[in-house]
Amino acid sequence: MHQRDIFINEITKEIEKDKKIFFLSADFGAPALDELRSKFPENFIHCGISEQAMLDVASGLSLEGNKVFVYAMAPFLSLRAIEQAKCGAGLMNLPICMISVGIGLGYADAGPTHYSTEDFACFRSLIGTTIYTPSDSETTKKVAIEVLKKPSFAYVRLDREPLQSLKPLINDVDFSNGFRIFGEPNKKRIALISHGKMLQNCHQIYSENKDKYICVDIFKSKKFPKKLPEKIKECKGIVVVDEQGPSANLSSCIFEGFSEQNIYPKIINKSLPEKYIFENGGREFLLNKFGLSSKDIIREAKKFD
Amino acid sequence: MKINDLNIQAKKYRLEMFEKFLLIKQGHPGSIFSMMDIAVSLYNGGFVRYDQKENRFIDKVLISKGHATAALYPILRDFGVLPKKEWENWGKKESALRVFGNTSIPGIDITSGSLGHCIGAGAGMCLSYKKSILDKKVYVVISEGELYEGSTWEALLFASHYNLDNLTIIIDINSLIILGKTSDCLNLDPIKDKITGLGINTYEIDGHDIPTIVSTLDKTNKSNKLNCILANTIKGKGSSVMENKKNWHYWNKMNDEEIILTRKELT
Repeated sequence: MHQRDIFINEITKEIEKDKKIFFLSADFGAPALDELRSKFPENFIHCGISEQAMLDVASGLSLEGNKVFVYAMAPFLSLRAIEQAKCGAGLMNLPICMISVGIGLGYADAGPTHYSTEDFACFRSLIGTTIYTPSDSETTKKVAIEVLKKPSFAYVRLDREPLQSLKPLINDVDFSNGFRIFGEPNKKRIALISHGKMLQNCHQIYSENKDKYICVDIFKSKKFPKKLPEKIKECKGIVVVDEQGPSANLSSCIFEGFSEQNIYPKIINKSLPEKYIFENGGREFLLNKFGLSSKDIIREAKKFD
Repeated sequence: MKINDLNIQAKKYRLEMFEKFLLIKQGHPGSIFSMMDIAVSLYNGGFVRYDQKENRFIDKVLISKGHATAALYPILRDFGVLPKKEWENWGKKESALRVFGNTSIPGIDITSGSLGHCIGAGAGMCLSYKKSILDKKVYVVISEGELYEGSTWEALLFASHYNLDNLTIIIDINSLIILGKTSDCLNLDPIKDKITGLGINTYEIDGHDIPTIVSTLDKTNKSNKLNCILANTIKGKGSSVMENKKNWHYWNKMNDEEIILTRKELT
């Protein structure tokens, strides 16, 4: 199932019990949203293709004590309405959850207007945000349950594609920590850190060579998971893989989070290049072409040998 | 409050704000003076209902032109919603009051300053009241300069579509933005046609004629449609030093002669 449907299904379940939940869309749909709209038409608000007004309306609803979810395609929800997010949810500390779908190159081959390769940096910089980038179905469901139970200014980054379950399934302890580690960290191993779809690619590399790698899923990158540095500090090196531009991506979180604890491992930032991508050929083609294939990640990791 | 008393009150508040400007040496007197009659009509005219027992207002006022939110401070103080000491301390020692309003100030319903946000926020509040079947209203005061913001038009479309008859939008049209006349900088006219074209009940009035403001607010309260009042005003109203002068968007240093004259005109 697509991440967006998993997430929306949880909201629909909660609306049965809590009629003060509102789901706002800027003309962006999903099969699960069809069901929500049909079951609870009073709790769905179509805002037109107006991301900015949608965020302002969300602020008003939230100021009146409602739980508010805003939903749109990632590039437009994030960059087009970032000032509305700042002035509403940010400045007034409002528990608005932004559901951003199609992060990274998810909308290949729609072209650079539809790619969301800067949203992480932008929303990470907004004060008071909590950022989630779940990398499989189970984590997506847990994120939805968390934001429903503890509403906050949340920016949830979902992939356009369904992402397969990663075993072992996420447990409650790992979820509360904000990260999970596949494999045992030690001096001989290299940590591949990522989130979302790219985490799945890293997990594949780890699965094929468990002696050499561990894989770290940071599904909640802000607030930075404080327990992580100590857990993996012994690793030979860290490759941070992110389907974002080269500036202020997930590797910045790692650099900052580790240095705050005076832990300075060797870190490589593996991301997209500093360019807008106009090439066509599908997402995998673009990832291969722009340095984020499995081979590219392994090549980077070899620098620690 | 009687109409004559509202006029007196508006004049009194302009003078109080002027004395405060002399003290804090910053702020936006032109914009505050242009909307003072509107603010007094809303609160002292009884349109913004006050719950004496709870010492809070039932209805909400969102000053989207956040640089003029300070126009509400003396009003809120006199209702007792804003503690007097906050007003007295402003410009002297620590006070909750700021040049731009925010929700940590008692009686201020929204944090504003960046233009173009409050019609959308007001629409969200009004929609919430309608869904919960609550008898509450929202008054949003915007500057005409906010008509340059795309989000304003997005929100107008939204409010019109959902027929938010519990929302009244008041556009303070003082014809000036920072660099000059709106008609010279980037023409907004015909504003009325544009707003009416969205299916919104639109009234055009003299924004300093309190009887007209009051009677128009009365009409909007009885209407079952979204309402917008185009209030034609004068930037810096009440002070010949400031009136219709673009540079009085911000506070400027005054000489003794100008201070004496302004005090006299506002008294």
